[in-house]
Amino acid sequence: MTNTGMFFRMLFSAVFRRRSRAAMAVVASLVGSATLFCLAMICIAVPQQMNQEMRAYGANLIVTPTASTGDKAGIEDAMVEHTSEMVAAKGTAKHATYRYENVRVNAAPYVMAGVNPDDVENLNHHWSVDGDWPSEGKVLVGRDVADAVGLKVGSAIKIAYRASDNASGASSDAASGDSAGSSASSSASASPSASASPSQQMQDGRVSSDIMDTSGTDFRVAGIVDTGGSEDSIIYATDDDVTKLTGSTRGADVIEYSVDLSGEGLSDLVDSINGMTSMHVKAQQVTKITSSDTRIITMLQTLFWIVSLVVLVLTLVGVGTTISSIVSQRRNEIGLRKALGASSKSIGVEFYAESAVYGLVGGLLGTGVGYGFALVLTTTVFQRSLDFNWWLAAASVVLSMLVAVIASVPPVHRATRIDPAVVLREE
Amino acid sequence: MTMLLELDHISKIYGDLKAVDDLSLTVPAGEWLAIVGSSGSGKTTLMNMIGCMDTPSKGSVKLEGRKLEDLNATQLADVRKNMIGLVFQKFYLVPHLTAVENVMVAQYYHSVVDEKEALAALDRVGLKDRAHHLPGQLSGGEQQRVCVARALINCPKIILADEPTGNLDEKNEKIVLDLFRQLHEQGTTIIVVTHDALVASCAEREIMLNHGVLVGEKWNDEAARAAYEAQGGKPASTGSDAEDAQRGETAIGFADPTKAAKTGGEAA
Repeated sequence: MTNTGMFFRMLFSAVFRRRSRAAMAVVASLVGSATLFCLAMICIAVPQQMNQEMRAYGANLIVTPTASTGDKAGIEDAMVEHTSEMVAAKGTAKHATYRYENVRVNAAPYVMAGVNPDDVENLNHHWSVDGDWPSEGKVLVGRDVADAVGLKVGSAIKIAYRASDNASGASSDAASGDSAGSSASSSASASPSASASPSQQMQDGRVSSDIMDTSGTDFRVAGIVDTGGSEDSIIYATDDDVTKLTGSTRGADVIEYSVDLSGEGLSDLVDSINGMTSMHVKAQQVTKITSSDTRIITMLQTLFWIVSLVVLVLTLVGVGTTISSIVSQRRNEIGLRKALGASSKSIGVEFYAESAVYGLVGGLLGTGVGYGFALVLTTTVFQRSLDFNWWLAAASVVLSMLVAVIASVPPVHRATRIDPAVVLREE
Repeated sequence: MTMLLELDHISKIYGDLKAVDDLSLTVPAGEWLAIVGSSGSGKTTLMNMIGCMDTPSKGSVKLEGRKLEDLNATQLADVRKNMIGLVFQKFYLVPHLTAVENVMVAQYYHSVVDEKEALAALDRVGLKDRAHHLPGQLSGGEQQRVCVARALINCPKIILADEPTGNLDEKNEKIVLDLFRQLHEQGTTIIVVTHDALVASCAEREIMLNHGVLVGEKWNDEAARAAYEAQGGKPASTGSDAEDAQRGETAIGFADPTKAAKTGGEAA
């Protein structure tokens, strides 16, 4: 047997032949490790999931053409792609484009949005849609529009487009950054008001009009959307249908992004887009969602980290006290080893290794137990699923070993200064 | 003449108490010396100083001509593991290591672990078949024999034994003393601290301490005495002015200490 073999034999004997003492140290490490791992899992996973879920409540960034574009060209597809690449470079993002046009239903003016239904659905999980999303020849109408016109799912609707309604720059106003930005919650909210002249009166989500021309293109109502917001006053159709209706092709008036950023990261992204003046687009944060999102997550994280810190300190004290007690009980053994010629360093290494084993065993068990607790907590309290985080588990085990070793430094340091004569002095 | 151990006017003072008072003593290689005295007489303190586990307040200790007071803690640890084998009254075996592992611990701190050698040492003390038992599974006599095996495993020049039979019955006492006798015959220097007359009488030479002061010296083996004096060895002495102190170069004889009744005919 080599000296290394003897080292591990002594280590094994100290841990496994002194089970009751070892169990105390392992349990102390286990409790600390389980609590820390459980808190860390929740601390990382829950805010992360909340962030993802908040992203489902719509956009936190909108991009509109700058006023300098002046015409109704909107944001060309290539520019949409370019902007999306810029956003994607900073974080995971979903987006949807909106092309707004003023249309008439039963001669009354409404706002119609040309969209890619899949993108909009993907971006706005919170929309309550009765029926289906728009498809060719079928539109999705807002709840206010449906109530005003008396529409149900499957009803026929005749929509007319008049170039004169859109010639005054109303649409471009609707899609302008000013109106979109001021709405904060959604860029589209400003569109209906923007489509009406200041002198006109709003009634039931439409504008009173004396124009009685009811001609137009026939569509079917695929579904009715109810968000409680400005979306309820808009008619949504596919981009192709809007192009057919208007007889013209043009870019989007608004791009909405739900990007996995908050706080400074989002501000930096906005600044970087706005800094590219050659793109002729203007980016703005949807501040309500972003700030509340950030605030809640920051509060949660701060709370969890404070609790984790307290637990870490308590663990250190608990493990330290336990190991200190174990070392104290072995003063005679340490004195004997020194009397046999052991250096303080070699005794220190033996005891630190033993503490690390306690930390390792406690850490492994504690991480498993902690995951169990975290799973129960996230399922019952937060109603969320929880995947096992291997990196965090490894960190938890390493931390547990570190805490055990650090906690053993003072008692081991004291022990290695034991005068070997104390062993012989006990007559 | 070079003695293995030379104590030159050493004292150990704790406040007003002189645990060892101005003792001078020389021990040649191969001698079996007993330090006797009642409890609190300073025997163990003296042994700690000889065993590099304590330093004298005054005076000098030389082992193989090397002054111990000139050595640092690491060098003292080296001297302990290379030159000295320790046997304790309370055995002090590591409770979670088996008998053979306890012997191997001494090898581990000394040089290289060799399980066969450790088993051979246990065989020598008659414990080969108990080699893989924990101390708790061994009797007091067996534990002390493990302790002796541990002390001799690194072939030390001196074996220091503090009340080696203090916790043993007569049968085990005899076994341990026989082991010491064998080691002595092989040339190992043995210094035994005891207040047991039987154990003391096994030694070639005895010195007696009383409250830290040398009060007597006697030889149990005249041939050894003659050899010692032929080497230029002198009787132990003290500079203490205490009454009954053995001063100068004349040894003062003394009666056997406690338990004298046990000696009846068994002494070497």
